[in-house]
Amino acid sequence: MVAHVLSLKLRLLANGFKRSVGQLIGVIIGGLYALGMITMLTLAVWFAADEIPFQGEIFTLIGSAVVLGWAIIPPLLTGVDLTLEPSRFVQFGIPEKTLGPALVLAGFISIPAVLTVVGLLGASLMWRSDAGALMLGLLAAVATAVMAILLCQYLVIMATALRAKRRFRELTFALLFLLLVGLGPIMASVFSAAESMGDWIHPLSTVLGYTPLGAFAAVPGAYASALYGQMAIHLALGAAYLGGLYFLLARATAKAAITPPPQQRAATAKGLGFFKLLPATPTGAVAARALTYWFKDPRYAVGVLIVPVLPLLFWFTGSQSGNYTMMYLMGPLIGILLGFSISADISYDNTAFALHALTGISGRADRAGRVLSCFLIAIIPVLAAAILPGLIAGELWRIPGDLGLSLAALFVALGVSSVSSARYTYAVPLPGDNPMKTPPGSGMRMALTQLGIMLTMGLLLIPVLIPYTIGWFQHSQVLGFITLGAGLVLGTGLVLGGIALGGKWYEKRTPELMQSVMLNK
Amino acid sequence: MNQIALDIRSLAKQFGAKIAVNNVSLQVPAGSFYGLVGPNGAGKTTMLSMATGLLRPDAGQAVVNGVDIWADPHAAKSTLGVLADGVRQFDRLTGRQLVTYSGLLRGMDRAEVAQRTEDLLRVMDLLDDGDKLVVDYSAGMTKKITLATAMIHSPKLLVLDEPFEAVDPVSAANIRDILNNYVEFGGTVIVSSHVMDLVQRMCTHVAVISDGVLKAQGTVDDVRGGMSLEDRFVDLVGGRSNNEGLSWLRTS
Repeated sequence: MVAHVLSLKLRLLANGFKRSVGQLIGVIIGGLYALGMITMLTLAVWFAADEIPFQGEIFTLIGSAVVLGWAIIPPLLTGVDLTLEPSRFVQFGIPEKTLGPALVLAGFISIPAVLTVVGLLGASLMWRSDAGALMLGLLAAVATAVMAILLCQYLVIMATALRAKRRFRELTFALLFLLLVGLGPIMASVFSAAESMGDWIHPLSTVLGYTPLGAFAAVPGAYASALYGQMAIHLALGAAYLGGLYFLLARATAKAAITPPPQQRAATAKGLGFFKLLPATPTGAVAARALTYWFKDPRYAVGVLIVPVLPLLFWFTGSQSGNYTMMYLMGPLIGILLGFSISADISYDNTAFALHALTGISGRADRAGRVLSCFLIAIIPVLAAAILPGLIAGELWRIPGDLGLSLAALFVALGVSSVSSARYTYAVPLPGDNPMKTPPGSGMRMALTQLGIMLTMGLLLIPVLIPYTIGWFQHSQVLGFITLGAGLVLGTGLVLGGIALGGKWYEKRTPELMQSVMLNK
Repeated sequence: MNQIALDIRSLAKQFGAKIAVNNVSLQVPAGSFYGLVGPNGAGKTTMLSMATGLLRPDAGQAVVNGVDIWADPHAAKSTLGVLADGVRQFDRLTGRQLVTYSGLLRGMDRAEVAQRTEDLLRVMDLLDDGDKLVVDYSAGMTKKITLATAMIHSPKLLVLDEPFEAVDPVSAANIRDILNNYVEFGGTVIVSSHVMDLVQRMCTHVAVISDGVLKAQGTVDDVRGGMSLEDRFVDLVGGRSNNEGLSWLRTS
C-alpha cells in the first residue's frame, strides 16, 4: 500500500512534467539554479570549514531557518502540491494505519524536499575536521529535513481545514502578507540593535536548540564542544518532537482522509451592488463587475494591500535612517503597482471570460470598464500618497510635481496594462485558489511578461520624469506645474490610446484569448 | 426571416494530430428543437464552440441567423444565446448580479434588464437564491443561472451544451417547459446531450456525430427510422462491445 502511494506520487510528478515542455524547462532551470547555489555553498563550507566562527551556533541557525521556512512558506504562501491531499482518499477506504504513513512518506517525494536534504547535508560538511561531529552533522541534517517536511505537512493539513472557510482564508492572507512585509524591517532593527554577531548568535541559537526548529541541528555543535550532557538533551528533545509530530501528523492525515469536506455557509449580497451605482452601459457593467471582484476576490486584495503596506514600510525605513525621502516615491509607486494589477485581468477571469466572448462586447468597452474600475480604486490612494508627504513635510512647492508624476504613473500603467492584458496572458492562480500560489514552471514567462510591461511603463514615463527630476533638484514649483501638465496630457493620451489599441487587439484575438484562459497559460 | 437558424458549412478543427471536427456541415431549421448527440469526445463541444465564436475554426463557416459569426461576430452574437459547457462563471457575483451583468454587457437598458432578470430568476426557481454568490450554488443551480444569462437578450437561437447535466428532474422538467415554450413562439434551440431518450421525446430534429464526422441528420423520425433513437445511435456509432463483460463482478 505504502509503495503504491509512493509510486503514484512519483508518477504524478513525472506526468506533470510531460504535460508541457515549457513547464519542464522552467523546473529544470529552477532546479539547476538551486543545485548550483547549494553546490557553491557546500564548496564554500568545505573550504572554509576550519575558519567558520560559532560553528555550532551557525548550524543551529541554518537548521532552524530551514524548518521555519518549511513551516511558513508552503502552508501559508505558495501552497503545496496537493495532488495527494488526504481528503482525495475519502472514497477508498484504506485503513488509517497504512494511509497515514504512506501520505507522510509521499510528502518527501518533491523537488524542494530533495533540495532541502541535499542543502542541509552540504551545510553539515562544516564539521569535516572532526569525524564524530561530521557523522552527527550528517544525521542531524537528515533529521532536520524530516522535521521540516513533517511540520510543513502538519501545518498544511491544519491550514487546509481552516481555510475551507472562505472568510477566514481571506483574512489570514491579509494578516500574513502584512506580517511578512513587515518582517524584514523588524528583523533588521533587532539585529542592528545588537552590536556584533557574537552578542545575539549565542543566546538565539541556545534558545532555538530547545525548540523543534533547532533541536537536531544543535546536536553536532554540542558534541564538538564536548558538552555531552547538553547533546543528550538536544537529541532527546529532537526525538520527542519528531515522534510527537509524526504521531500528530499520522493521526491528522488519517482523519483528513476520512472526513468529507466541510459544508460552507453561503455568502450573500443584497441587491445589485456596484451594478446599480455605475452607468448601465457595457463599460459601466464591466467596471461594476471588476469592482465587485476587487472587493471579493483575494487575488485582487493582495494587490490592494500594498496601499497600506508601502507607507508603513517606507516610514519604518525612514525612521531607521532618519531620511524620509523615500516617502515622496510612494505616489508614483502606488500608481504604477495598482495600474499594473489589471495587466493580468483576463487571466484572472479564467474561463468566466467566455461570457465576454459570447456577448460580443466591444473590445473598447471591455478595456475601458476594467480601466475605470482600477481608476476608481486607485485614485484616492494615489492622490493621498502624492499630496500628503509634501504637505506633512511642509514643502508645498513640490506637491504639483509629485502629483504630476503620480498621476502620470497611474495613467501610464493603466494604458500599458490595457494593451498587454489583451495580448499576453499567463498562468495565474485560479479563481478560489490560494492567491499566492504560482503554477509550477510558469515563473519564467510571467517574469518576462511583467518585466516587459514594467520596462515599457518606465520608458513612457521619461517625458514626465525629466521635468520632475530637475524640479526636485532646483526646488522649482514652476517645473512642478510643468510636470503636472505633462503628466496629465501624456497620461490621458496613453490611457485613451491604450484602450483603443488594446480594444482592437482584443477584438481580433477574442477566441485565442478564450483558448489560452482555458489552458491557463 | 431566415429559414435556417444555424448553418454550419464544412467546419473543421484539428488539435495536433487529432482531427476533432472533420468537415461537418449541418443545417438547423428555424423553429426547430435540434438535438446534437454523440459519444464522449465526438467533437460536439468543439463544433458548438466554433459555431458560437469561442474557438476559431481551421476551415468552414458558421452562419447564425444569416450572419457569418466569424465575419461579423458582434451582429451574429446579438441574436445568439449560448450555454457553454465546462466554463466558469463570474462566480463572486450573486445570481441576480450575474444575470444583470449579462444583460448590460449586451447593451440593454437598465429597466428592461431588471424586469427580465426577475422574470428569469422566477422561472428558473432561483428567486430565493438571487442574492447568494454563484460560487455557493449547486451544479444544477449554476446551470440554471447560466441558462438565464444566455436568454436575457431574447435571442433567436439558443445553443445549449449539455443543459441537463447535473440538473435535478424537477428543474430539468421546468427548463424543458421553458424551452418548449420558446420554440413554440418561433425560437430555435440546439441542445447537445448523451441522453437519447430525452432527445427522442423533446427534439424535432437530431444530428449524430461520432469521431468528428456527421453520421446522420434530419427529423428525429427520419433518423431513427422506426427504431428507438438509442438503438439507432448505437448502430450508427458502433462500439458496443460483445464480450463476456466482467466475470468477477458478482456479489455471490
